[in-house]
Amino acid sequence: MHLHDLTIKKFHEGLLKKDFSALEITKEFFDYIEVKDKEIGAYLSLAKDEAFLRAEKADLKIAKDEPMDALSGVPLAIKDNILIDGQPATAASKILENYKAVYDATVIKKLKAVGAVFLGKTNMDEFAMGSSTENSGFKLTKNPYDLERVPGGSSGGSAAAVAAHMAVAAFGSDTGGSIRQPASFCGVVGLKPTYGAVSRHGLIAMASSLDQIGPFTKTVEDAAILFKTIAGKDQFDSTSVETNYNDELLNPKLEDVKKLTVGLPEEYFISGVEPGVIKAVESAINQFKSLGINFKKISLPHTKYALSCYYIIMPAEVSANLARFDGIRYSKIQNPKSKIQNLLELYKRQRSEGFGPEVKRRIILGTFVLSSGYYDAYYAKAQKARALIKKDFDEAFKEVDVILTPVAPTPAFKFGEKTSDPLAMYLSDIFTIPVNLAGLPAISIPVKQATSDMSRVTSHKPLPIGFQLIGKHWREADILGMGMFYERLQI
Amino acid sequence: MAEINKKSLEHLADLARLELSGKESESFLVDLQKILDHFNELQELNTEEVQPMTGGTMSKNVMREDEIFKEDHYTDAGKLAEQFPERQDGFLKIPPVFE
Repeated sequence: MHLHDLTIKKFHEGLLKKDFSALEITKEFFDYIEVKDKEIGAYLSLAKDEAFLRAEKADLKIAKDEPMDALSGVPLAIKDNILIDGQPATAASKILENYKAVYDATVIKKLKAVGAVFLGKTNMDEFAMGSSTENSGFKLTKNPYDLERVPGGSSGGSAAAVAAHMAVAAFGSDTGGSIRQPASFCGVVGLKPTYGAVSRHGLIAMASSLDQIGPFTKTVEDAAILFKTIAGKDQFDSTSVETNYNDELLNPKLEDVKKLTVGLPEEYFISGVEPGVIKAVESAINQFKSLGINFKKISLPHTKYALSCYYIIMPAEVSANLARFDGIRYSKIQNPKSKIQNLLELYKRQRSEGFGPEVKRRIILGTFVLSSGYYDAYYAKAQKARALIKKDFDEAFKEVDVILTPVAPTPAFKFGEKTSDPLAMYLSDIFTIPVNLAGLPAISIPVKQATSDMSRVTSHKPLPIGFQLIGKHWREADILGMGMFYERLQI
Repeated sequence: MAEINKKSLEHLADLARLELSGKESESFLVDLQKILDHFNELQELNTEEVQPMTGGTMSKNVMREDEIFKEDHYTDAGKLAEQFPERQDGFLKIPPVFE
């Protein structure tokens, strides 16, 4: 079997039929990564020995005819802000350059329990702050579809690893679109679960009221398998909730999916969106109509305030969460430029040399919106705007079951295109941010054959384009179900 | 609405335990002002009767029994101390705090 063809489902079937061993495939992945990742730059660190051990364990189970979980032996890539005991966890920041995690994140614990294999940690925007992975403190990751373009961000390494067949699937985190936007740019599936469905314990916190961990996969079916494995209440994350995801998550019924009404919000189909993106999303809508699904025009009137609301609330939380990085307790910057006299000076020096510009910008912005005199005008106002944005969705979901939108206003953009203007970069998340503010589940799915006729005038190479399905709270089953039947359509 | 100048930026950086280079200050002043100007659109929203959304969910406080954790990964201080870049006898080593 070729690595390019591997999904979780196919890997599992091949393993059971003894077409290959988990160790063989794991070795093959590392051999391929060695060559391919020179070009892509998806990984920050690899964990060969540990991966081989875990693969052998899966093979031993097969040999003993023990029951196998669907994820036994499956080689995964993990974003570098999710802790794996004993492995580096830098969040792509210089301030954590030498840090090694001392415990497993809850999602990792759960994945270990079902026998998954971890190939390594993937590149990202520093502390997950960015939309192109250009803010990594270490290196650039390239879009496998066009090496002159970004993979999206912040989970760009995870998206590129799956798209370039350097892992069967991967995990990322999504605070304002950091799973869905890179999934769209790299032509893979990306799921952001309902806030509280997955434990955040062991995820290096960026904005705690928005962060969620979720999977990158080649198929919607694989995303459902990974999501079901990591969901559930955790004693170490008090915002996590006991969930009741039953078989419909993995085995949706067509008659149930056909009954869904899908809303198309007018605020998401606007003139600022590239025509190629609108065309691609419309073709997906028509394909869904062929399944018998009903569509309805809806309005989410406060959408235009989401960006401002997000860029107040998120930096406020960032400024608090990143206070723990004092340059002392975790790793430290080697050889600071000048001699340090006292503790305060050390903090300032370590943080200034350890954090990149975007991180500093957000810490300062967050400090500003929380400062006395400005708190009410900015932070408190944004919290109220957030309530209105959530209410829009609550109202819409009285009429429809799922909402369909573009993921991003453009396909993958070129390196450097938006780095000089933070606001332009922020705008690439306008369709994903409202979902995090409202705490809803959403998935990015590549438009089928979008690449044949959607290529941009500026590019000869066809670029992938994704559409987004937004579900009601705790109704991942609806968006995964629609996605799975979309995937099975012959086009 | 709000304006950020060189002095207020310095104060914010100080509160956030950051030192900005001259070049950084210059570009941050421009960027931050642009971002703050963008935020002005929120002022047109009528939020008088709106209850703020203060977290990721509307759920209430989650309490637990006040008891000692049996889980070992929070009590393994030695493992945590190993990650201190500078340490001595299991303690974290830092420059003098008092002068």
